[in-house]
Amino acid sequence: MKRLLRIYRVCVMANLATAVSYRMNFLLNCLITLIGNVLFPLVTVIIYNSNASFAGWTFHEALLIQAVFILSTACASMLFNGIMWSTMSHVVEGSLEVLLIKPAPGLFLLLAQAFNIESIGLLTGGLVIFGYALGGVGGMSLVTWLLFLLLFAAGLLVMLGVVLIVAAISFKWVANSRLPEMFESVKAFGRYPGTIFPRMLVAISSFIFPVSMIAFFPASALIGRWKGYHLAAILPCLLFAGFGVWLYNRMLHSYKSAGG
Amino acid sequence: MEIISVKHLTKQYETYHRGHDARSVFKSLFHREKSVITSVDDLSFQVPQGEIIGILGPNGAGKSTTIKMLTGVLYPTSGEINIMGFNPHKQKNQYVKQIGVVFGQKSQLIWDIPPLDSFHMNKEIYDIPAEDFRKRLERLKEMFEVADIITKPTRNLSLGERMKCEFIMAMLHSPPVVFLDEPTIGLDLIAKQRIREFIQEMNRQGTTFILTTHDLEDVERLANRVLIIHQGKKVYDNSLAGLRLHLGAKKVVRLSAAAPIGNIDYPGVEISEQISDYEAELLIDTGQCALGAFLHRISESVDITDISIKEIPIEKIIGSIYEEPVAAM
Amino acid sequence: MFKTIKHRFQVMRAVAFVTFKEWSAYRSHSMVSIFVGPVYFLVQYYIWTSVYSGEPSINGMSLPQMLTYFCATLLVNYLTMDFADWNLQMLIRTGKFITFSLRPVNHMFFALSQKVGHRVLGLLFECIPCFLIFYLVFDINVLPANAFYAVLSIAMAFLMNFFINYSIGMTAFWMVQSSSIRNIFNLCAQVFSGAAIPLVFFPRPLQVASFFLPFQYTAFVPAMVYTGSYTLADITLTIPQVLLLQLLAVIVAGAVCRLLYAVSLKHFTGVGA
Repeated sequence: MKRLLRIYRVCVMANLATAVSYRMNFLLNCLITLIGNVLFPLVTVIIYNSNASFAGWTFHEALLIQAVFILSTACASMLFNGIMWSTMSHVVEGSLEVLLIKPAPGLFLLLAQAFNIESIGLLTGGLVIFGYALGGVGGMSLVTWLLFLLLFAAGLLVMLGVVLIVAAISFKWVANSRLPEMFESVKAFGRYPGTIFPRMLVAISSFIFPVSMIAFFPASALIGRWKGYHLAAILPCLLFAGFGVWLYNRMLHSYKSAGG
Repeated sequence: MEIISVKHLTKQYETYHRGHDARSVFKSLFHREKSVITSVDDLSFQVPQGEIIGILGPNGAGKSTTIKMLTGVLYPTSGEINIMGFNPHKQKNQYVKQIGVVFGQKSQLIWDIPPLDSFHMNKEIYDIPAEDFRKRLERLKEMFEVADIITKPTRNLSLGERMKCEFIMAMLHSPPVVFLDEPTIGLDLIAKQRIREFIQEMNRQGTTFILTTHDLEDVERLANRVLIIHQGKKVYDNSLAGLRLHLGAKKVVRLSAAAPIGNIDYPGVEISEQISDYEAELLIDTGQCALGAFLHRISESVDITDISIKEIPIEKIIGSIYEEPVAAM
Repeated sequence: MFKTIKHRFQVMRAVAFVTFKEWSAYRSHSMVSIFVGPVYFLVQYYIWTSVYSGEPSINGMSLPQMLTYFCATLLVNYLTMDFADWNLQMLIRTGKFITFSLRPVNHMFFALSQKVGHRVLGLLFECIPCFLIFYLVFDINVLPANAFYAVLSIAMAFLMNFFINYSIGMTAFWMVQSSSIRNIFNLCAQVFSGAAIPLVFFPRPLQVASFFLPFQYTAFVPAMVYTGSYTLADITLTIPQVLLLQLLAVIVAGAVCRLLYAVSLKHFTGVGA
């Protein structure tokens, strides 16, 4: 365990060194991911500016959900999204060997190397919107904050699961750069108040592909609008991430037996 | 002592086909034909400790599949591998700490930062004690004369400099067995020479090397022994000198003359290439016609302006082996 | 004259066919859209159904028109999108662009022909399947108000998109690192094309500005022509008027692109990269 932590630290340092050596590029990439993701709530802003609304949700509440979504995206891309990209490029270039000849678990090495400081810009942007949205909502208490953190962490597990599942599929479905899009599109169900969707979709996005946990559940918990089934959905989140880890390791294993 | 022992190693995998015309393109949108390919077929060999063995073969012969299985990256379909007492794919984590691998075409260095940072990463990954790491790095730095290179970002290094660093990366944990996959590909002559000298030096200190390459010079300079693979099968496994003997003791003579070269009709001599009336390449079987006797006779009948005598190029020998495999000697 | 046109047509057909073949190996890439398109639409469907609850019309658009609009932007996108900018800057950066100056066909025409082949694939594996899903499964009115006008407008959007992207790709002739500029530009293009939300939802000054920006002619215009009515910045135009406006925009964009191409090539060969 201590050795793994040391490896992780070295990888983080290497990523920081890269960012420093490509300063200009680092700053621009920070900015672009920030603009790209911050534009998204624009649709919500425009809708509320047109005197329309999502039934039952105030502007600040709707914005809060989207801010949490941005925060979750930022954490995911800082901590583990890189697993997906590096797996894809390893599979395409046939260079997975470089990873497999190392005396440490392959998935762990990928995770360590996936750390990416560039998302710090997005994280900051998310926090600003989050702070702004918080200014217009009420109902927070110590309990709701703790609940928020718990559900947010569960949401990150869903993000991790998605990354691992996409990366795992890319072993078989080589060079499909649009694969992440499929999962990205489903995540959209977690960006909006769940009440606008029919029951069937709510059930799916809570328990089968628990994308509601990414933003809607934690944000509702924070403002005290949570329901019992939000908490129950933590279990499927754990299962989802577990499934991702299992699938990825299985693909790694079958890569070794299939070759190419 | 055998450090590597491979018995009946076989690897098969599935692949797809598609035709060229519009109809089969359209068809392939919905259905692709599958077929099984045997890329390594019942391969057996042994390597004693301290040897440098060269694995040769044309593209797609099964060389890199073999290397992948030996390094534990691929599971064999069947067969047995024993390297230093390990079964590579079953005891992967302990095993890979004992080997080094250099891929000529797949960098293990991190592109945007100096090699030194990558070395430190390997220190943690391979769990190398700080003192050993410092000493080895110091020594390797000296050997390769890279002290001022390893602190520059990798992307700014030349291919030759990068290759040196790839070697250091693979040697830092002091592995007894090192696999080299096309280690000199794309390098200029001087860089190639440096890499070869380094391999020889490490070999003298006891490291066993397994080398796959297209570059026959690598093999001629380094390997005591060659293994030739063709269509997944072993077609030759012996010394390089033995490989030459396989075709008989032949020499290539290139001849230029002042007057047109007439008919040369001695036993054991054949004209392999008539370049012009004044120039020819001969193939001499020294078993039938001693070189001295040949020179004597030829100087009487031909007005020689230039002559050169060479070994048969190894490409030719290997080419002839691909055509008719010889039983392992 | 007739001979050159015939020859050009033959070149285009050959290049398009090769591109089609090349990309059909990646059929699964296109088929991703059969999933992504309907999922994206489903989200929009529930968002707007909720937003419209109790409101017959917002910014002059009714809910059915809104839903048709989002279907149309998706379908139009499958028929008109391209990677002309990415391809071109890649060719320039890797030095492969030079090989095109050795061929008896200019790269711009070549790239346009490639796009034709690529989008035929888009028609087969993205547009038609999604159309059928919207029409049969979701039961949305996705039939264009006037098929002839819709085809015309989409064809012009096809060219417009190409001219815009190709022009952006040409920045690589002038700058070593043009990727960030292209990224920022693409983000703007996305917002101002109307693909995310109809332009009538924008503040009025931005609506007015849209008439003079190239972006609305790639998505908002064809989608509105598809739905059969066009209003922006309180200006209502008949469909033939909109088409004429779009034609004007395409001609201007084409001329600018052509001019940039000539200037850039001169710069390129002058620098001798």
